[in-house]
Amino acid sequence: MQLTNDHIDYIIKDLTYRGIIVDHVRNEILDHICSAVETEMSKGLRFINAYQLVLREFGHTRGLRTTQKQIVQFENQTPRIMFRNYLTIAFRNLLKHRFFTAINIFGLAIGIASCLLITLYVLHELSYDKHFENADRVYRVDTEILFNGNHHRLAVGPAPLAEALMNDFPEVEAAVRFRAWGSRLIKTEKATDNIKERHVIFADNEILQVFPLKLLSGDAQNGLKEPNAVMISKSKADKYFPGQDAVGQTLILDNEHNYKVTGVFPDFPEATHFRFDFILAMSGLDESKNDMWLSNNFNTYFLLRKGASPADVEAKFKKMVETYAGPQIEQIFNINFTVDDFEAGGNRFQFSLMPLTRIHLHSDRTAELAANSDITYVYLFGAIALFILGIACINFMNLSTARSANRAREVGVRKVLGSLRGHLVRQFLTESILLSFIAFVIGLGLVALALPYFNLLSARSLEIPYSDPRFIGLMIVAAIVVGILAGIYPSAFLSGFKPVNVLKGKLALGMKSGLVRSSLVVFQFMVSIFLLIGTITVQKQLSFIQNKRLGFQKDQVLILQDTQVLGPQIESFKNEMLNETLISSASISGFLPVSGWGRSDTSFWPEGKQTTQDNLTSMQHWRVDHNYVKTLGMNVKAGRDFSKDFPSDSSAIIINEAAARKFGFANPVGERISTFDFSEGEIDPDKSVTYTIIGVVEDFHFESLRKNITPLGLVLGDATWCMSFRFESEKASQVIDLLESKWKQVAPGQPFQYTFLDEAFGKMYSSEERLGHIFGIFAGLAIVIACLGLFALTAFTAEQRTKEIGIRKVLGASVTSIVVLLSREFGKLIVIAFVIAAPISWFAVSWWLESYTYKAEIGLAIYVLAGLVAFVVAWLTMGYQSIRAATANPVNSLKSE
Amino acid sequence: MHKLIMYQTAMHSPELLKGTLQTIVLKVLGDHGRMYGYEMTQRVKELSEGRILLTEGALYPTLHKMESEGLLHTETVHIGKRVRKYYTLTFQGKALSKDRVSEFLDFIKTMSAVLQVKVA
Repeated sequence: MQLTNDHIDYIIKDLTYRGIIVDHVRNEILDHICSAVETEMSKGLRFINAYQLVLREFGHTRGLRTTQKQIVQFENQTPRIMFRNYLTIAFRNLLKHRFFTAINIFGLAIGIASCLLITLYVLHELSYDKHFENADRVYRVDTEILFNGNHHRLAVGPAPLAEALMNDFPEVEAAVRFRAWGSRLIKTEKATDNIKERHVIFADNEILQVFPLKLLSGDAQNGLKEPNAVMISKSKADKYFPGQDAVGQTLILDNEHNYKVTGVFPDFPEATHFRFDFILAMSGLDESKNDMWLSNNFNTYFLLRKGASPADVEAKFKKMVETYAGPQIEQIFNINFTVDDFEAGGNRFQFSLMPLTRIHLHSDRTAELAANSDITYVYLFGAIALFILGIACINFMNLSTARSANRAREVGVRKVLGSLRGHLVRQFLTESILLSFIAFVIGLGLVALALPYFNLLSARSLEIPYSDPRFIGLMIVAAIVVGILAGIYPSAFLSGFKPVNVLKGKLALGMKSGLVRSSLVVFQFMVSIFLLIGTITVQKQLSFIQNKRLGFQKDQVLILQDTQVLGPQIESFKNEMLNETLISSASISGFLPVSGWGRSDTSFWPEGKQTTQDNLTSMQHWRVDHNYVKTLGMNVKAGRDFSKDFPSDSSAIIINEAAARKFGFANPVGERISTFDFSEGEIDPDKSVTYTIIGVVEDFHFESLRKNITPLGLVLGDATWCMSFRFESEKASQVIDLLESKWKQVAPGQPFQYTFLDEAFGKMYSSEERLGHIFGIFAGLAIVIACLGLFALTAFTAEQRTKEIGIRKVLGASVTSIVVLLSREFGKLIVIAFVIAAPISWFAVSWWLESYTYKAEIGLAIYVLAGLVAFVVAWLTMGYQSIRAATANPVNSLKSE
Repeated sequence: MHKLIMYQTAMHSPELLKGTLQTIVLKVLGDHGRMYGYEMTQRVKELSEGRILLTEGALYPTLHKMESEGLLHTETVHIGKRVRKYYTLTFQGKALSKDRVSEFLDFIKTMSAVLQVKVA
C-alpha cells in the first residue's frame, strides 16, 4: 500500500506544525512515519488512524521535538559538522550585508597588500649578504680618523693593512682588498666601440677564499694571481662573448690595457652590498704595493677562523696602529706618536670591525662600495605596515560592533535556542576569519599588480615567493591571526549580550555607544594625520634642497664624461665648442660640486710655519681650469678669478670662505699657504708646494646638505675625466646633438656619455625622494582605508537614525542642521586625533631633520594643512551619507510605523 | 524535564536494556548491510519476537550520534516526495561491532556467575 502525495503533504505540514523544522531530521522522520503508516494501513486501518497510531509511538509533539533536539545536539557537538554550519551562516551573513562586507574586505585587502609589500621589502633588506657561504665570519675593517677637527669615517683602509692582518693575526684566515676605480671603458679585441662599465673593481686573489664565487668556469684557486687577469660576471660574459667560452679571451680596458679573462662567476644576487661585473687582479695595480698607512683607499675584508672571536682581533688594533702607522705619523708631523697621547689631544686614528651582514643596514661611511640602506627605514616602514594593517583591522571591528544593534536580536534568539557563549564567539570568529581569507586572496592579487611599480619606487626587484611553502604557510597563519584580531573584540562584545535585554529591545546600540569605537576612530585618524605630516615634511625638505642657494648655478650645465680619451686634443675640442653660440662657457675639470665626483683631500698650512698638529688645515684641493668658476656660476667674493693674463696663476689658489675662516686670515688675498708635494706619488715631508691666494669664492655646497661646507681650494691643473658646458636655456637637446656630432668626429668609437649637473645634483637626494614617495603613497592608503571605515560607519548611523531624521524634518529641521548633526560626532573625533597627532609628529619631524645641517623651516602651517586635509577628506566621506539621509523624504521613513 | 522512554517492551524492563542500543544497531547493520531506520525497528521486533521494540525517539539520536562518531556511513535515496536515508557500517563500525558483541557475551557470562544461574 503506497501513500499518495496528498497524504505525504499532510504529514509534512503536520510535522512542521509540531515544530519539526530541521530539514534532514524531518525528511528522515517523514520516511519512517510513511513506512509505518503504510504497514498499519495494509492491516486495514484508515490513513488518519494509522497516522495517529504511529505518532503515538514517536511520543506525539513532545517526543518528536525531543528527538529533533537530541539529533541537533549530537551534531553540534561534532566539530566538523558545526564548522560547516558556522561557515554556511557566515557566508549567508556576509552576502546579506553586501555593502559592509565589500567595504570590510576591500579595506582589509588594501591593508594586507600594503603590509605584504612592506614585509617583502623589509625581508629583502634583512637578507643582504647572507647568501655568502661564510657570511657570519666575514668582517670589514673600517678606519676612523679625527685630526684637527676633520673627521673621517671610512669604509676603506690603507694598502698594507691586509698583509698586516695576515702576518700578525692568527685569527685571520684570509684577507682581501678591493680598490674601486670608477667606471671603465671596455671592449673586446674585435670590437671597435667601447662600452662604459660601471661595476669594475680591483681585488686580491684571496677574494676566492673570503667570498667564494662559485665560478661557472675558470680557475677557482689562483684566477686572480697574475696581473692583467680579470674575472667577469655571467651576464657580461654573455654580452661580450655570446655563445663562446669567455675564459681565455681578452678584454681591452680604457683602450690600452689588455686583460685576460680567467673566470666567469654567476651574477651577484641583488641582496649583496656590492656589485661587481669585472674583477681585475690587484697585482696589476702599483698602488696596492705601497706601504703608506696614512692613505686609505682599500676596502679590506677578512675571513675569521672558526671559533675565533672578533673582539680579540679588535683589541689588537691599537698595537697595530702604533707599530705601523706610528712611525709614519712621527715622520710627517715631527711628533712622538703613541695612541694615548694622540687621543689625549682630541685626535683619533682607529680601526674597527664591521660584520659583513650588518654593512647594508648599519654602515654609512665614506667610500662604501655602493650606497647602503639604513636600518631606520626598515623600522620606519615596518611601523607603517603595522599601522596600516591596524587601521584596516579597526575598520572591521568598528563595523561589526556598530552593526551589533542589528545582530543583537540574532544573538538573543540563538541564546534562547541554547547557544552557549562559546558557540557565538566561534560563529563570529569564523565570520571574521572567512572575511580575512577573502581579503588575503584579494590582497595578494593587489600585491602582484602593484609589485612592478613598487620595485620601481624602492629601486629593488622583489618577487612574491609563491613556490615557497613557508610563504603559503605564513599567509594562512597570518590570515587566521588577522581574522582573530579583527574578530575578537566584536565577538566578545556581541556574545556578551543578555538575551532578555536584547529581545525586549532594551539594547539601543546607536552610534553613541562605545568609547572603544570612538578611540579606535581617533587612532585611525591620528596615524593618518601623522603620515600626512611626514609626507609634507619630506616633500618640503626636498624642495628646500632643490631651491636652496647653493653658491653655484646648477641649472643649464651639461657634463660630458670620459673626456680623458681625447688626450692632448681636449684643449682644441674645448676651444672649438666655445666658438659655438649655443655654448656660453666650457671648463675641463673632474672636480664637481656634487657628491660622488672627484675629491682630493690634503693638508695645508700657512707658508713658513713648522708643521704641527695644530696649524694643519685639511682642505679639498681641486684641480680646475681658467673657466671653472665662470662655467659653474660661482661668485668671487674678494680678489679675482684665474686669468690667462697672469702667467703666475700656475701657483695661485682660490679658496672658499670656510677656508679663509679656518686659516684666520683677515684679508686672505695675497697670503701664501703650503701643502705637501704629491707629484712623486708619495708624501715627502721635506718637500712642499706653496700657493698664493688670489681670490675667495662664496661658500658653495659640494656635498649633500646633510653636511657642512668644509674648506676648499681651487688650483690650476689637469683633471681631464670630464668637461662642463654652460648653455642657453631651452636649448638642451640642440646642445646634446651638437656635442654628440663633434664627439663622434674627435673620438670615434668612444661612448658619448653625458649628464646634467642638476640631475647629478638630484641623485644625491634620491633616497630622500624615495622616502617621500613611499611615505606619500602609504599615507594616502592609510587615509583611504580610514575613510572607507568612516564612510561605512556614517552610512550605518544614517540608517539607524532614519526615523529620528524623519521626525526632525517633519518638525521643521533644515537639511543643513541635519547634516551638521550627523557629521558633528565624527568631526569631534578627528579634531581629537589631530590634537594627539600634532605633538607626536613634531617630535618625529625634528628627529628626522636633525641629520640635516641645512633644513627647511617646518612651520605651523604644515600641521594645520595636514589636519585640514584629514578633516576635509573625512567630512566629504561623511557628507555624502549625511546629505543623502538629510534630503530623503521623511514620508518614506515614517510611513512604516 | 521530559524523561525519555528508551524501550517499550513486552517483557524486558527498560533499565535492563539501557546501553545495548548501540550494540543492537551495530549487529543488525553488520548482518544486513544497508538499512533505513524503520527497517531496523522492524527487524529488531522480528528477531526479538516482539519483546524488544526500539522507540524512534531513542533510535534516531543514536544513529546520528554514531554517524558523527564515524561509525556509520549514510546515503539518501529520493523516492517521490520522500527521502530515504540508508545507513551502513563504516570500517571502524565493523570493527566495533565485533568488539561489542563479544563484550556483551562476556557480560552475560559474568552476570550468570554473579547471579549463580545457568544461561540456557
